[in-house]
Amino acid sequence: MSFSVHSDYNKIITKKDLKKVFWRSIPYEHSWNYERMGNVGYTYAMYPILKKLYPEKDDLARAMKRHLTLYNVTPYISTFPLGISAAMEEANATEDDFETESIGAVKSALMGPLSGIGDAFFWGTLRVIATGIGCTLALKGNILGPLLFLLIFNVPHYALRYLGTFLGYKLGSESIEKITASGLMGSVMEAASIVGMMVVGAMTMDMTAINFITEIGSGEEATTLQELLTGIVPGLPVLGLFGIVYWMLKKKLNPLLIMLIMLVFGIIGAFFGFLG
Amino acid sequence: MVLKTILVFLIGLLGYSEWLLGTSYIQRPIVLGPLVGLVMGDMQAGIIMGATLELAMIGAISVGAYNPPDLISGTILGVSLAISSGAGADAALTLGIPIATVMLAVDTALGQPIMLFFIHRCDKYAETGNIKAFNRCMFIAGYAQSIGGIICIPLAFYFGSDAVTKLLGNIPDFVQTGMDITAALLPALGFAMLAQTMMNKKVAPFFFIGFFLVAYFNISTTGAAVFSILMVLVMVMFGAFGKTGGDAAAIEAEVDGGDFDEF
Repeated sequence: MSFSVHSDYNKIITKKDLKKVFWRSIPYEHSWNYERMGNVGYTYAMYPILKKLYPEKDDLARAMKRHLTLYNVTPYISTFPLGISAAMEEANATEDDFETESIGAVKSALMGPLSGIGDAFFWGTLRVIATGIGCTLALKGNILGPLLFLLIFNVPHYALRYLGTFLGYKLGSESIEKITASGLMGSVMEAASIVGMMVVGAMTMDMTAINFITEIGSGEEATTLQELLTGIVPGLPVLGLFGIVYWMLKKKLNPLLIMLIMLVFGIIGAFFGFLG
Repeated sequence: MVLKTILVFLIGLLGYSEWLLGTSYIQRPIVLGPLVGLVMGDMQAGIIMGATLELAMIGAISVGAYNPPDLISGTILGVSLAISSGAGADAALTLGIPIATVMLAVDTALGQPIMLFFIHRCDKYAETGNIKAFNRCMFIAGYAQSIGGIICIPLAFYFGSDAVTKLLGNIPDFVQTGMDITAALLPALGFAMLAQTMMNKKVAPFFFIGFFLVAYFNISTTGAAVFSILMVLVMVMFGAFGKTGGDAAAIEAEVDGGDFDEF
Protein backbone atom coordinates (compact mmCIF):
# COMPACT_ATOMS: atom_id res chain seq x y z
CA MET A 1 0.00 0.00 0.00
CA SER A 2 1.32 3.40 -0.82
CA PHE A 3 0.08 6.67 0.59
CA SER A 4 1.20 10.16 -0.15
CA VAL A 5 1.49 11.04 3.52
CA HIS A 6 2.31 7.56 4.69
CA SER A 7 4.99 7.41 7.31
CA ASP A 8 6.76 4.79 9.39
CA TYR A 9 8.05 7.04 12.12
CA ASN A 10 11.00 8.04 9.96
CA LYS A 11 10.41 11.75 10.07
CA ILE A 12 9.82 13.92 13.11
CA ILE A 13 6.91 12.37 14.97
CA THR A 14 7.73 9.35 17.10
CA LYS A 15 5.58 6.69 18.68
CA LYS A 16 6.05 8.48 21.98
CA ASP A 17 4.50 11.65 20.58
CA LEU A 18 1.49 9.70 19.42
CA LYS A 19 1.11 8.16 22.87
CA LYS A 20 0.88 11.68 24.22
CA VAL A 21 -1.95 12.33 21.74
CA PHE A 22 -3.76 9.26 23.06
CA TRP A 23 -3.53 10.47 26.67
CA ARG A 24 -4.55 13.97 25.76
CA SER A 25 -7.53 12.68 23.77
CA ILE A 26 -9.15 11.45 26.99
CA PRO A 27 -10.66 14.83 28.03
CA TYR A 28 -11.77 15.42 24.41
CA GLU A 29 -15.42 15.98 25.35
CA HIS A 30 -14.78 17.95 28.55
CA SER A 31 -15.00 21.25 26.69
CA TRP A 32 -17.65 20.12 24.20
CA ASN A 33 -19.80 23.16 23.44
CA TYR A 34 -22.73 24.08 21.23
CA GLU A 35 -20.76 26.56 19.21
CA ARG A 36 -17.85 24.55 17.79
CA MET A 37 -18.32 21.27 19.67
CA GLY A 38 -15.06 19.38 20.17
CA ASN A 39 -12.76 22.09 18.83
CA VAL A 40 -10.83 22.86 22.02
CA GLY A 41 -10.52 19.20 22.98
CA TYR A 42 -9.13 18.35 19.56
CA THR A 43 -6.58 21.14 19.71
CA TYR A 44 -5.57 20.15 23.22
CA ALA A 45 -4.84 16.61 22.02
CA MET A 46 -2.94 17.87 18.95
CA TYR A 47 -0.77 20.25 20.96
CA PRO A 48 2.35 18.05 21.55
CA ILE A 49 2.50 17.27 17.82
CA LEU A 50 2.06 20.89 16.76
CA LYS A 51 4.61 22.14 19.26
CA LYS A 52 7.20 19.72 17.96
CA LEU A 53 6.51 20.45 14.31
CA TYR A 54 6.33 24.24 14.55
CA PRO A 55 9.04 25.71 16.78
CA GLU A 56 8.22 29.19 15.48
CA LYS A 57 5.62 30.91 17.64
CA ASP A 58 3.64 32.26 14.70
CA ASP A 59 3.48 28.90 12.93
CA LEU A 60 2.29 27.23 16.10
CA ALA A 61 -0.44 29.82 16.65
CA ARG A 62 -1.61 29.38 13.07
CA ALA A 63 -1.64 25.60 13.43
CA MET A 64 -3.65 25.77 16.65
CA LYS A 65 -6.14 28.13 15.08
CA ARG A 66 -6.49 25.68 12.20
CA HIS A 67 -7.71 23.03 14.64
CA LEU A 68 -9.96 25.33 16.66
CA THR A 69 -12.66 25.13 14.00
CA LEU A 70 -15.84 23.11 14.54
CA TYR A 71 -15.23 19.42 15.05
CA ASN A 72 -17.36 16.54 16.23
CA VAL A 73 -16.66 12.82 16.43
CA THR A 74 -17.52 9.93 18.73
CA PRO A 75 -14.99 10.49 21.56
CA TYR A 76 -13.92 6.84 21.72
CA ILE A 77 -12.42 6.96 18.24
CA SER A 78 -11.32 10.59 18.27
CA THR A 79 -7.71 9.36 18.15
CA PHE A 80 -8.21 8.08 14.61
CA PRO A 81 -8.74 11.51 13.00
CA LEU A 82 -6.13 12.87 15.42
CA GLY A 83 -3.59 10.39 14.08
CA ILE A 84 -4.45 11.33 10.53
CA SER A 85 -4.13 15.02 11.36
CA ALA A 86 -0.75 14.33 12.96
CA ALA A 87 0.52 12.63 9.79
CA MET A 88 -0.78 15.48 7.64
CA GLU A 89 0.67 18.18 9.88
CA GLU A 90 4.00 16.40 9.71
CA ALA A 91 3.83 16.39 5.93
CA ASN A 92 2.85 20.04 6.00
CA ALA A 93 5.86 20.91 8.12
CA THR A 94 8.37 18.92 6.08
CA GLU A 95 7.14 19.18 2.48
CA ASP A 96 7.17 22.46 0.59
CA ASP A 97 4.34 21.75 -1.81
CA PHE A 98 1.85 20.43 0.75
CA GLU A 99 -1.56 22.06 0.67
CA THR A 100 -2.29 23.18 4.20
CA GLU A 101 -6.04 23.48 3.57
CA SER A 102 -6.29 19.74 2.99
CA ILE A 103 -5.70 19.09 6.71
CA GLY A 104 -9.00 20.72 7.65
CA ALA A 105 -10.76 19.28 4.62
CA VAL A 106 -9.82 15.69 5.45
CA LYS A 107 -10.74 16.19 9.09
CA SER A 108 -14.17 17.49 8.14
CA ALA A 109 -14.75 14.74 5.62
CA LEU A 110 -14.14 12.18 8.35
CA MET A 111 -16.70 13.63 10.78
CA GLY A 112 -19.83 12.07 9.30
CA PRO A 113 -18.70 8.53 8.48
CA LEU A 114 -16.60 8.14 11.63
CA SER A 115 -19.34 9.38 13.93
CA GLY A 116 -21.80 7.11 12.15
CA ILE A 117 -19.75 4.00 12.74
CA GLY A 118 -18.62 5.12 16.20
CA ASP A 119 -22.13 5.82 17.44
CA ALA A 120 -23.46 2.58 16.01
CA PHE A 121 -20.74 0.47 17.60
CA PHE A 122 -20.06 2.16 20.95
CA TRP A 123 -23.40 3.64 21.72
CA GLY A 124 -25.86 1.36 19.97
CA THR A 125 -24.09 -1.97 20.50
CA LEU A 126 -21.35 -2.05 23.12
CA ARG A 127 -23.18 0.14 25.63
CA VAL A 128 -26.44 -1.74 25.14
CA ILE A 129 -24.70 -5.07 25.82
CA ALA A 130 -22.90 -3.60 28.86
CA THR A 131 -26.14 -2.14 30.21
CA GLY A 132 -28.03 -5.37 29.59
CA ILE A 133 -25.57 -7.52 31.48
CA GLY A 134 -24.95 -4.88 34.16
CA CYS A 135 -28.62 -4.21 34.87
CA THR A 136 -29.57 -7.88 35.02
CA LEU A 137 -27.18 -8.26 37.95
CA ALA A 138 -27.70 -4.82 39.49
CA LEU A 139 -31.48 -5.20 39.70
CA LYS A 140 -30.83 -8.10 42.08
CA GLY A 141 -28.59 -5.81 44.15
CA ASN A 142 -25.36 -7.41 42.94
CA ILE A 143 -22.34 -5.06 42.96
CA LEU A 144 -20.91 -6.97 40.00
CA GLY A 145 -23.57 -5.26 37.88
CA PRO A 146 -22.04 -1.76 37.85
CA LEU A 147 -18.50 -3.18 37.77
CA LEU A 148 -19.19 -5.37 34.75
CA PHE A 149 -21.00 -2.48 33.08
CA LEU A 150 -17.86 -0.35 33.31
CA LEU A 151 -15.49 -3.16 32.27
CA ILE A 152 -17.49 -4.42 29.30
CA PHE A 153 -17.71 -0.91 27.93
CA ASN A 154 -14.31 0.50 28.78
CA VAL A 155 -11.92 -2.34 27.96
CA PRO A 156 -12.80 -2.29 24.24
CA HIS A 157 -13.18 1.49 24.42
CA TYR A 158 -9.65 2.18 25.61
CA ALA A 159 -8.13 -0.56 23.42
CA LEU A 160 -9.69 0.97 20.30
CA ARG A 161 -8.91 4.52 21.40
CA TYR A 162 -5.26 3.54 21.81
CA LEU A 163 -4.97 1.61 18.54
CA GLY A 164 -6.81 4.32 16.62
CA THR A 165 -4.02 6.81 17.23
CA PHE A 166 -1.35 4.74 15.48
CA LEU A 167 -3.70 3.44 12.84
CA GLY A 168 -4.80 6.93 11.89
CA TYR A 169 -1.21 8.11 11.69
CA LYS A 170 -0.07 5.15 9.58
CA LEU A 171 -2.92 5.23 7.14
CA GLY A 172 -2.88 8.98 6.71
CA SER A 173 -5.42 10.89 4.74
CA GLU A 174 -6.22 8.30 2.12
CA SER A 175 -7.44 5.72 4.57
CA ILE A 176 -10.95 7.01 4.76
CA GLU A 177 -11.39 6.88 0.98
CA LYS A 178 -10.10 3.32 0.90
CA ILE A 179 -12.40 2.23 3.67
CA THR A 180 -15.42 3.97 2.20
CA ALA A 181 -14.71 2.58 -1.24
CA SER A 182 -14.47 -0.97 0.08
CA GLY A 183 -17.94 -0.68 1.61
CA LEU A 184 -16.50 -1.82 4.90
CA MET A 185 -17.81 1.14 6.85
CA GLY A 186 -21.42 0.46 5.90
CA SER A 187 -21.08 -3.25 6.56
CA VAL A 188 -19.64 -2.83 10.02
CA MET A 189 -22.33 -0.31 10.89
CA GLU A 190 -25.01 -2.71 9.70
CA ALA A 191 -23.57 -5.64 11.62
CA ALA A 192 -23.21 -3.57 14.78
CA SER A 193 -26.77 -2.26 14.47
CA ILE A 194 -28.13 -5.79 14.14
CA VAL A 195 -26.46 -6.92 17.35
CA GLY A 196 -27.58 -3.74 19.11
CA MET A 197 -31.16 -4.07 17.90
CA MET A 198 -31.43 -7.70 18.99
CA VAL A 199 -30.15 -6.90 22.46
CA VAL A 200 -32.56 -3.97 22.74
CA GLY A 201 -35.39 -6.35 21.82
CA ALA A 202 -34.25 -8.87 24.40
CA MET A 203 -33.91 -6.23 27.12
CA THR A 204 -37.34 -4.80 26.37
CA MET A 205 -38.89 -8.18 27.11
CA ASP A 206 -36.51 -9.04 29.95
CA MET A 207 -36.76 -5.81 31.92
CA THR A 208 -40.18 -4.33 31.32
CA ALA A 209 -43.12 -5.65 33.32
CA ILE A 210 -46.85 -5.07 32.96
CA ASN A 211 -49.38 -7.29 34.63
CA PHE A 212 -53.15 -7.16 33.97
CA ILE A 213 -54.67 -8.80 37.02
CA THR A 214 -58.32 -8.48 35.99
CA GLU A 215 -59.98 -11.86 36.58
CA ILE A 216 -61.82 -13.54 33.78
CA GLY A 217 -64.31 -16.36 34.38
CA SER A 218 -65.08 -17.77 37.80
CA GLY A 219 -64.38 -20.75 40.01
CA GLU A 220 -62.13 -23.46 38.59
CA GLU A 221 -61.88 -21.77 35.21
CA ALA A 222 -60.84 -18.39 36.63
CA THR A 223 -57.85 -16.86 34.92
CA THR A 224 -56.40 -13.39 34.62
CA LEU A 225 -56.34 -11.22 31.54
CA GLN A 226 -52.55 -11.46 31.67
CA GLU A 227 -52.59 -15.26 31.39
CA LEU A 228 -55.05 -15.05 28.54
CA LEU A 229 -52.86 -12.61 26.60
CA THR A 230 -49.56 -14.39 27.21
CA GLY A 231 -51.32 -17.63 26.34
CA ILE A 232 -51.87 -16.32 22.82
CA VAL A 233 -48.33 -14.99 22.38
CA PRO A 234 -45.83 -14.75 25.25
CA GLY A 235 -44.78 -11.17 25.82
CA LEU A 236 -47.85 -9.71 24.12
CA PRO A 237 -48.65 -7.19 26.91
CA VAL A 238 -45.07 -5.88 26.97
CA LEU A 239 -44.94 -5.68 23.18
CA GLY A 240 -48.23 -3.77 23.17
CA LEU A 241 -46.90 -1.32 25.75
CA PHE A 242 -43.67 -0.88 23.78
CA GLY A 243 -45.63 -0.36 20.56
CA ILE A 244 -47.82 2.36 22.09
CA VAL A 245 -44.85 4.20 23.59
CA TYR A 246 -42.92 3.90 20.33
CA TRP A 247 -45.89 5.33 18.44
CA MET A 248 -46.18 8.22 20.92
CA LEU A 249 -42.50 9.05 20.41
CA LYS A 250 -43.01 8.93 16.66
CA LYS A 251 -45.87 11.42 17.07
CA LYS A 252 -43.21 13.70 18.61
CA LEU A 253 -44.68 13.60 22.10
CA ASN A 254 -42.25 14.82 24.72
CA PRO A 255 -40.70 11.86 26.60
CA LEU A 256 -41.48 13.62 29.87
CA LEU A 257 -45.15 13.86 28.93
CA ILE A 258 -45.17 10.17 28.02
CA MET A 259 -43.64 9.43 31.41
CA LEU A 260 -46.41 11.42 33.07
CA ILE A 261 -49.06 9.54 31.07
CA MET A 262 -47.50 6.26 32.21
CA LEU A 263 -47.53 7.42 35.83
CA VAL A 264 -51.21 8.39 35.61
CA PHE A 265 -51.96 5.06 33.91
CA GLY A 266 -50.12 3.17 36.64
CA ILE A 267 -51.94 4.99 39.44
CA ILE A 268 -55.35 4.56 37.79
CA GLY A 269 -54.51 0.89 37.28
CA ALA A 270 -53.68 0.53 40.95
CA PHE A 271 -56.80 2.44 42.05
CA PHE A 272 -59.21 0.32 40.01
CA GLY A 273 -57.18 -2.80 40.56
CA PHE A 274 -56.64 -3.88 36.95
CA LEU A 275 -52.87 -3.58 37.15
CA GLY A 276 -50.65 -5.26 39.71
CA MET B 1 -25.56 15.21 57.77
CA VAL B 2 -22.80 17.70 56.94
CA LEU B 3 -20.38 14.86 56.18
CA LYS B 4 -22.97 13.17 53.98
CA THR B 5 -23.59 16.43 52.14
CA ILE B 6 -19.88 16.81 51.43
CA LEU B 7 -19.64 13.22 50.18
CA VAL B 8 -22.73 13.69 47.99
CA PHE B 9 -21.11 16.84 46.59
CA LEU B 10 -17.96 14.84 45.77
CA ILE B 11 -19.98 12.19 43.97
CA GLY B 12 -21.55 15.01 41.98
CA LEU B 13 -18.12 16.33 41.10
CA LEU B 14 -17.04 12.85 39.99
CA GLY B 15 -20.16 12.59 37.84
CA TYR B 16 -19.47 15.92 36.17
CA SER B 17 -15.87 14.81 35.53
CA GLU B 18 -17.26 12.21 33.13
CA TRP B 19 -16.04 14.10 30.07
CA LEU B 20 -12.67 14.91 31.58
CA LEU B 21 -12.19 11.20 32.25
CA GLY B 22 -12.75 9.95 28.73
CA THR B 23 -16.58 9.81 28.54
CA SER B 24 -16.26 6.42 30.23
CA TYR B 25 -19.89 6.33 31.46
CA ILE B 26 -19.00 6.79 35.13
CA GLN B 27 -21.87 9.31 35.16
CA ARG B 28 -24.53 6.70 34.33
CA PRO B 29 -27.12 5.95 37.07
CA ILE B 30 -25.96 2.32 37.28
CA VAL B 31 -22.54 3.58 38.47
CA LEU B 32 -23.50 6.63 40.54
CA GLY B 33 -26.42 4.86 42.26
CA PRO B 34 -24.21 2.42 44.23
CA LEU B 35 -21.84 5.25 45.24
CA VAL B 36 -24.73 7.27 46.62
CA GLY B 37 -26.03 4.14 48.33
CA LEU B 38 -22.65 3.64 49.98
CA VAL B 39 -22.69 7.18 51.36
CA MET B 40 -26.27 6.80 52.56
CA GLY B 41 -25.46 3.53 54.32
CA ASP B 42 -27.51 1.26 52.06
CA MET B 43 -25.43 0.22 49.09
CA GLN B 44 -27.80 -2.58 48.11
CA ALA B 45 -30.65 -0.08 47.66
CA GLY B 46 -28.32 2.23 45.72
CA ILE B 47 -27.40 -0.53 43.26
CA ILE B 48 -31.04 -1.43 42.64
CA MET B 49 -32.21 2.19 42.34
CA GLY B 50 -29.31 2.99 40.03
CA ALA B 51 -30.23 0.10 37.74
CA THR B 52 -33.90 1.14 37.77
CA LEU B 53 -33.01 4.67 36.73
CA GLU B 54 -30.55 3.35 34.16
CA LEU B 55 -33.24 1.31 32.45
CA ALA B 56 -35.76 4.15 32.39
CA MET B 57 -33.18 6.51 30.95
CA ILE B 58 -31.29 4.14 28.65
CA GLY B 59 -32.34 6.24 25.67
CA ALA B 60 -31.09 9.46 27.26
CA ILE B 61 -27.56 9.90 26.09
CA SER B 62 -25.71 12.59 24.20
CA VAL B 63 -25.34 11.45 20.66
CA GLY B 64 -24.71 13.95 17.91
CA ALA B 65 -26.10 17.23 19.16
CA TYR B 66 -28.95 15.84 21.29
CA ASN B 67 -28.62 16.77 24.94
CA PRO B 68 -30.25 14.42 27.45
CA PRO B 69 -31.63 15.35 30.89
CA ASP B 70 -28.95 15.85 33.54
CA LEU B 71 -28.86 12.30 34.87
CA ILE B 72 -26.06 13.11 37.30
CA SER B 73 -28.13 15.41 39.51
CA GLY B 74 -31.23 13.27 38.88
CA THR B 75 -29.54 10.07 40.03
CA ILE B 76 -27.70 11.54 43.02
CA LEU B 77 -30.66 13.46 44.41
CA GLY B 78 -33.27 10.85 43.46
CA VAL B 79 -31.37 7.96 45.07
CA SER B 80 -30.15 9.87 48.14
CA LEU B 81 -33.53 11.39 48.95
CA ALA B 82 -35.32 8.09 48.36
CA ILE B 83 -32.96 6.22 50.70
CA SER B 84 -33.01 8.91 53.40
CA SER B 85 -36.82 8.88 53.46
CA GLY B 86 -36.94 5.09 53.50
CA ALA B 87 -38.67 4.79 50.13
CA GLY B 88 -38.04 2.39 47.26
CA ALA B 89 -36.72 2.48 43.70
CA ASP B 90 -40.00 3.91 42.41
CA ALA B 91 -39.48 7.02 44.56
CA ALA B 92 -35.94 7.42 43.20
CA LEU B 93 -37.48 7.44 39.71
CA THR B 94 -40.31 9.86 40.44
CA LEU B 95 -37.92 12.23 42.22
CA GLY B 96 -34.93 11.83 39.93
CA ILE B 97 -36.44 12.34 36.50
CA PRO B 98 -38.05 15.78 37.13
CA ILE B 99 -34.83 16.94 38.81
CA ALA B 100 -32.80 15.79 35.81
CA THR B 101 -35.09 17.66 33.44
CA VAL B 102 -34.99 20.91 35.41
CA MET B 103 -31.21 20.74 35.74
CA LEU B 104 -30.80 20.34 31.98
CA ALA B 105 -32.70 23.61 31.54
CA VAL B 106 -30.50 25.31 34.16
CA ASP B 107 -27.33 24.03 32.49
CA THR B 108 -28.47 25.17 29.06
CA ALA B 109 -29.51 28.63 30.24
CA LEU B 110 -26.72 29.27 32.73
CA GLY B 111 -23.88 26.81 32.18
CA GLN B 112 -23.51 27.00 28.39
CA PRO B 113 -23.03 30.79 28.15
CA ILE B 114 -20.38 30.72 30.90
CA MET B 115 -18.70 27.83 29.15
CA LEU B 116 -18.67 29.66 25.82
CA PHE B 117 -16.98 32.61 27.48
CA PHE B 118 -14.07 30.36 28.41
CA ILE B 119 -14.03 28.66 25.00
CA HIS B 120 -13.54 32.09 23.44
CA ARG B 121 -10.71 32.75 25.88
CA CYS B 122 -9.08 29.58 24.49
CA ASP B 123 -9.11 31.13 21.01
CA LYS B 124 -7.36 34.18 22.34
CA TYR B 125 -4.70 32.24 24.22
CA ALA B 126 -4.00 30.01 21.22
CA GLU B 127 -3.30 33.17 19.25
CA THR B 128 -0.91 34.59 21.83
CA GLY B 129 0.71 31.21 22.46
CA ASN B 130 -0.12 31.13 26.16
CA ILE B 131 -0.63 27.39 26.46
CA LYS B 132 -0.96 27.31 30.23
CA ALA B 133 -3.89 29.71 30.10
CA PHE B 134 -5.35 27.71 27.19
CA ASN B 135 -5.31 24.53 29.27
CA ARG B 136 -6.72 26.32 32.30
CA CYS B 137 -9.63 27.75 30.31
CA MET B 138 -10.39 24.36 28.82
CA PHE B 139 -10.45 22.82 32.29
CA ILE B 140 -12.74 25.53 33.69
CA ALA B 141 -15.02 25.51 30.62
CA GLY B 142 -15.89 21.85 31.13
CA TYR B 143 -17.00 22.37 34.71
CA ALA B 144 -18.64 25.73 33.97
CA GLN B 145 -21.30 24.01 31.88
CA SER B 146 -22.31 21.93 34.92
CA ILE B 147 -22.18 24.79 37.41
CA GLY B 148 -25.91 24.50 38.15
CA GLY B 149 -25.68 20.87 39.15
CA ILE B 150 -22.44 21.27 41.10
CA ILE B 151 -24.07 23.95 43.27
CA CYS B 152 -27.59 22.54 43.47
CA ILE B 153 -26.81 18.91 44.38
CA PRO B 154 -25.39 19.55 47.89
CA LEU B 155 -27.94 22.31 48.63
CA ALA B 156 -30.96 20.29 47.53
CA PHE B 157 -29.67 17.28 49.45
CA TYR B 158 -29.08 19.24 52.65
CA PHE B 159 -32.36 21.16 52.66
CA GLY B 160 -34.59 18.70 50.79
CA SER B 161 -34.38 15.53 52.87
CA ASP B 162 -36.96 16.44 55.52
CA ALA B 163 -39.45 17.85 53.04
CA VAL B 164 -39.23 14.76 50.83
CA THR B 165 -39.62 12.41 53.80
CA LYS B 166 -42.78 14.23 54.89
CA LEU B 167 -44.14 14.30 51.36
CA LEU B 168 -43.58 10.59 50.76
CA GLY B 169 -45.09 9.75 54.16
CA ASN B 170 -48.40 11.36 53.19
CA ILE B 171 -48.90 9.53 49.92
CA PRO B 172 -51.97 7.22 49.84
CA ASP B 173 -51.41 3.49 49.35
CA PHE B 174 -52.87 3.19 45.85
CA VAL B 175 -50.57 5.98 44.60
CA GLN B 176 -47.64 4.11 46.13
CA THR B 177 -48.71 0.91 44.31
CA GLY B 178 -49.23 2.95 41.14
CA MET B 179 -45.69 4.29 41.38
CA ASP B 180 -44.38 0.74 41.75
CA ILE B 181 -46.29 -0.34 38.65
CA THR B 182 -45.01 2.69 36.74
CA ALA B 183 -41.41 1.90 37.69
CA ALA B 184 -41.84 -1.45 35.95
CA LEU B 185 -43.45 0.16 32.88
CA LEU B 186 -40.86 2.91 32.37
CA PRO B 187 -38.11 0.78 30.80
CA ALA B 188 -40.44 0.46 27.79
CA LEU B 189 -40.02 4.20 27.24
CA GLY B 190 -36.24 3.98 27.60
CA PHE B 191 -36.01 1.15 25.07
CA ALA B 192 -38.45 2.85 22.70
CA MET B 193 -36.30 6.01 22.73
CA LEU B 194 -33.22 3.91 22.09
CA ALA B 195 -34.86 1.84 19.36
CA GLN B 196 -36.15 4.94 17.61
CA THR B 197 -32.64 6.23 17.00
CA MET B 198 -31.42 2.87 15.67
CA MET B 199 -34.47 1.66 13.78
CA ASN B 200 -34.57 1.18 10.04
CA LYS B 201 -36.17 -1.41 7.76
CA LYS B 202 -33.06 -3.57 7.66
CA VAL B 203 -32.68 -4.04 11.41
CA ALA B 204 -36.34 -3.97 12.51
CA PRO B 205 -36.83 -7.78 12.33
CA PHE B 206 -33.89 -8.28 14.66
CA PHE B 207 -35.63 -6.35 17.39
CA PHE B 208 -38.41 -8.93 17.30
CA ILE B 209 -35.99 -11.85 17.16
CA GLY B 210 -34.39 -10.59 20.37
CA PHE B 211 -37.75 -9.90 21.94
CA PHE B 212 -39.32 -13.30 21.25
CA LEU B 213 -36.11 -15.16 22.06
CA VAL B 214 -36.64 -13.95 25.61
CA ALA B 215 -40.45 -14.19 25.54
CA TYR B 216 -40.56 -17.82 24.40
CA PHE B 217 -37.37 -19.30 25.79
CA ASN B 218 -36.90 -17.09 28.82
CA ILE B 219 -33.15 -16.66 28.21
CA SER B 220 -31.29 -13.73 29.75
CA THR B 221 -30.21 -10.57 27.96
CA THR B 222 -26.63 -11.84 28.08
CA GLY B 223 -27.78 -14.99 26.30
CA ALA B 224 -29.51 -12.94 23.64
CA ALA B 225 -26.32 -10.90 23.17
CA VAL B 226 -24.31 -14.09 22.64
CA PHE B 227 -26.81 -15.39 20.06
CA SER B 228 -26.93 -12.06 18.25
CA ILE B 229 -23.15 -11.93 17.88
CA LEU B 230 -23.05 -15.52 16.64
CA MET B 231 -25.85 -14.80 14.22
CA VAL B 232 -24.04 -11.80 12.76
CA LEU B 233 -20.92 -13.93 12.37
CA VAL B 234 -22.93 -16.52 10.44
CA MET B 235 -24.38 -13.77 8.29
CA VAL B 236 -20.84 -12.53 7.58
CA MET B 237 -19.80 -16.04 6.54
CA PHE B 238 -22.66 -16.19 4.08
CA GLY B 239 -21.68 -12.78 2.74
CA ALA B 240 -24.77 -10.89 3.87
CA PHE B 241 -22.92 -7.60 4.23
CA GLY B 242 -20.48 -7.56 1.33
CA LYS B 243 -22.89 -6.18 -1.27
CA THR B 244 -20.93 -3.05 -2.10
CA GLY B 245 -17.74 -4.92 -2.90
CA GLY B 246 -16.05 -5.17 0.49
CA ASP B 247 -14.17 -8.39 1.09
CA ALA B 248 -15.65 -10.73 3.64
CA ALA B 249 -12.40 -11.53 5.40
CA ALA B 250 -11.80 -7.94 6.38
CA ILE B 251 -15.37 -7.57 7.60
CA GLU B 252 -15.10 -10.70 9.65
CA ALA B 253 -11.96 -9.42 11.31
CA GLU B 254 -13.79 -6.21 12.03
CA VAL B 255 -16.79 -7.83 13.68
CA ASP B 256 -14.65 -10.36 15.44
CA GLY B 257 -11.91 -8.32 17.00
CA GLY B 258 -13.49 -4.94 16.70
CA ASP B 259 -10.24 -3.28 15.72
CA PHE B 260 -8.75 -2.10 12.47
CA ASP B 261 -5.53 -4.06 12.71
CA GLU B 262 -6.24 -6.44 9.91
CA PHE B 263 -5.85 -4.36 6.80
